[in-house]
Amino acid sequence: MLNNVLLDKASGLFIVIFGVLVLTFSLIHLVPGDPVEVMLGESVTQTDRQALRADLGLDQPLIKQFGGYLNSVAHGDFGLSIHTKTPISQLIKTHYPATLKLALLALFIGASIGIPLGIYVALKAGKWQDFAITIISVRLSAMPAFWLGPILMLVFAVWLGWLPVSGMDRGTSIILPALTLGLGLSAILTRMTRTSLLEVLNDDYIRTARAKGVKETTVILRHALRAALLPIITIVGLQMGSLLAGAVITETIFSWDGIGRLLVESIEKRDYPVTQACVLVVALSYVLVNALTDIIYRLADPRIKFGGNA
Amino acid sequence: MLVACGGQVSHDETIRFAVAQAPLNLDPRYATDAASERVNRLIYQSLVDFDASSKPVPSLATWVHSGSLEYRFSLNKQRSPFHNHQVLSASDVKATYDSFTSLKNSPHAAEFSNIATITIIDDDTLVFKLKQPDPHFPEKLIIGVLPAEFIAEDHDFSHQPMGNGPLQFISWGNKLALQRVVDKQRIELVEVKDPTVRVLKFLRGEVDLLQGDLPPELVKYLQSKPEIKVISNIGSNFSYLGFNFQDAVLRNTKVRLAVAHAIDRNAIIKSVMVNDSRTATSIFPPEHFTSKIPLKQYDYNPVLAKQLLKEAGLQLPLKLVYKTSTDAQRVRLATIMQAQMAAADIELEIRSLDWGTFFDDVKQGKFQLYGLTWVGINTPEIYSKAFASESFPPNGFNRGHYSDSKLDSLVKKEDWAAATKRIHEQLPYVPLWYEGQFAAMRKDIEQYFPKPNGNWDNLATIKYAH
Repeated sequence: MLNNVLLDKASGLFIVIFGVLVLTFSLIHLVPGDPVEVMLGESVTQTDRQALRADLGLDQPLIKQFGGYLNSVAHGDFGLSIHTKTPISQLIKTHYPATLKLALLALFIGASIGIPLGIYVALKAGKWQDFAITIISVRLSAMPAFWLGPILMLVFAVWLGWLPVSGMDRGTSIILPALTLGLGLSAILTRMTRTSLLEVLNDDYIRTARAKGVKETTVILRHALRAALLPIITIVGLQMGSLLAGAVITETIFSWDGIGRLLVESIEKRDYPVTQACVLVVALSYVLVNALTDIIYRLADPRIKFGGNA
Repeated sequence: MLVACGGQVSHDETIRFAVAQAPLNLDPRYATDAASERVNRLIYQSLVDFDASSKPVPSLATWVHSGSLEYRFSLNKQRSPFHNHQVLSASDVKATYDSFTSLKNSPHAAEFSNIATITIIDDDTLVFKLKQPDPHFPEKLIIGVLPAEFIAEDHDFSHQPMGNGPLQFISWGNKLALQRVVDKQRIELVEVKDPTVRVLKFLRGEVDLLQGDLPPELVKYLQSKPEIKVISNIGSNFSYLGFNFQDAVLRNTKVRLAVAHAIDRNAIIKSVMVNDSRTATSIFPPEHFTSKIPLKQYDYNPVLAKQLLKEAGLQLPLKLVYKTSTDAQRVRLATIMQAQMAAADIELEIRSLDWGTFFDDVKQGKFQLYGLTWVGINTPEIYSKAFASESFPPNGFNRGHYSDSKLDSLVKKEDWAAATKRIHEQLPYVPLWYEGQFAAMRKDIEQYFPKPNGNWDNLATIKYAH
């Protein structure tokens, strides 16, 4: 059964990747700005321009360019960056692990704060703790990274001197960008855990468990939380997908050389091959995380059968 | 190496320089962005450079115009060797300039297409023979010299530069590490895009030097810090507002004059620009060798501006679209100009676009008004490229399609004073200002001064006071 699901997901994955390739290729050629102009500037002859255009294959019909691109990608060759002449696979190899590391730590921070806090406020529903934490979490989730990031830098780096402001030089450099991303995520998870848990806490089987004298901790953690976990897993999966898509602003502010920063810079410089490769990697991450979420979802809830309907 | 110490980290002997934009390409034959050119000036040495008045002066070599089509260059006897200790000779110069003929994608190749032959006389002397006479040929030889042996091996200069300049390349990962040849002083360039983060890193002690690219309020904040030294200097980079002459309304000189009188440059400089910023009247600042006659400022006079628009027979308010980049300071300046122009009954609509889209629109003439800055312009050849009738894109930078036979003939005669005056009267650009330059550094750093064109040349002398 699990094999069927994986097969199903894999075929979906191919369709999505092909769609992404078609879309990015078409869209990037519609955006104003010409890489040849960006590379050569304005003081070159028309002949030189045409020579470079031919050299980059940009003089070919779009469909032919797309065919060539598909062929290269199928062979794992993303080509060279137009600007830095660096192999793009090398750029992805250096930038993607940085994003992955940041995303995992942000997720860990978000989940380890958000889920316990969500349980706590669900148990204190309607009391002052519930209101206070709800207000804080709404505020946190509304804080943009370009504001929260510098505030964290000011407090933890400049005033307290505990952590570096930005960069990737030291092991501790990851803490502030991960906190910037993780705090927002924790606020979302707090709200989601609270709502989800409150829904199941009034269910008959919880009442039955309590009537049978099961300990309250067991009722919450073993019975209620397991049922409430499904929407939380969905949110975690979606957020993880977004984080792997590159937290563009956070990576830029913290000079974190991740995939998001690479993507934005390639768009600014009209470095078409880099942009296409980044979008493909991001899309692939998104699809893989969603597939993984789906599998975890089914494992967490035995009512959802592999390969069938619930 | 870095130790937390009450919010401030102690430094080793390395000087860390935070820049808004890291260099893109360290091969001087390809580099076009300002950061790459600024670093390449330090890694390589060119035959010719410019003095403070922008006149070409010998750098690696002296020259004589040995015939109408010939220039003879003699390399300095005391020149530095390449960083691999190999002696720099005339064959390296020849190989560098010869390589442009085989490079398909060098933005500078066209500059050297007039070279017919390069003949080596001896290790220290070579002759450039041209196809057509060009009295300004030496001014073009500002590309750093590369070792011939490395060129032959198709060495990757873009990522592993090898020159004979004062700074030697060490490594390039998420920072660019360089080392000064004379005393092994290590200098690192760190890219920090966000200006606030750059200042926070500076306050924290993670970097030791900043130059330019900060909003004036952050500069003022740094000036208030006793442990920080902020040095400012006049600037020479020219900011302007360009008109599109394909637009029937803007072809009218009175309308352009009205726009010029509708901007209060002095108020803008005083309120939102850094120290030492100056109003501009032409592309070249007063200290440039062509700036002999002082030109009159276009004063802020909204009443006169309105009068001029009425005389032009326009229905008021006049609606104009101004394109600029998304840079926060550029948008802020545009907003102020919008408010000032409103007093002259000019309704300015601001469209801020990402750099690629904005610059593409400018090059394609898809604008009414746009704002840009000319950076590091030395030679009056710019008049021909920016204003001559034959220089419409893609043949030059005449993006507004300005065409004036009188100016064309003045430029051809190289009567720079008269050409400057003509441009001032005709207003293809509204001259705005030369933005001041500044550098912020720790108190114990010495021998660093910002250059008027924003170059980082003093990285060759910067040091800690001990």
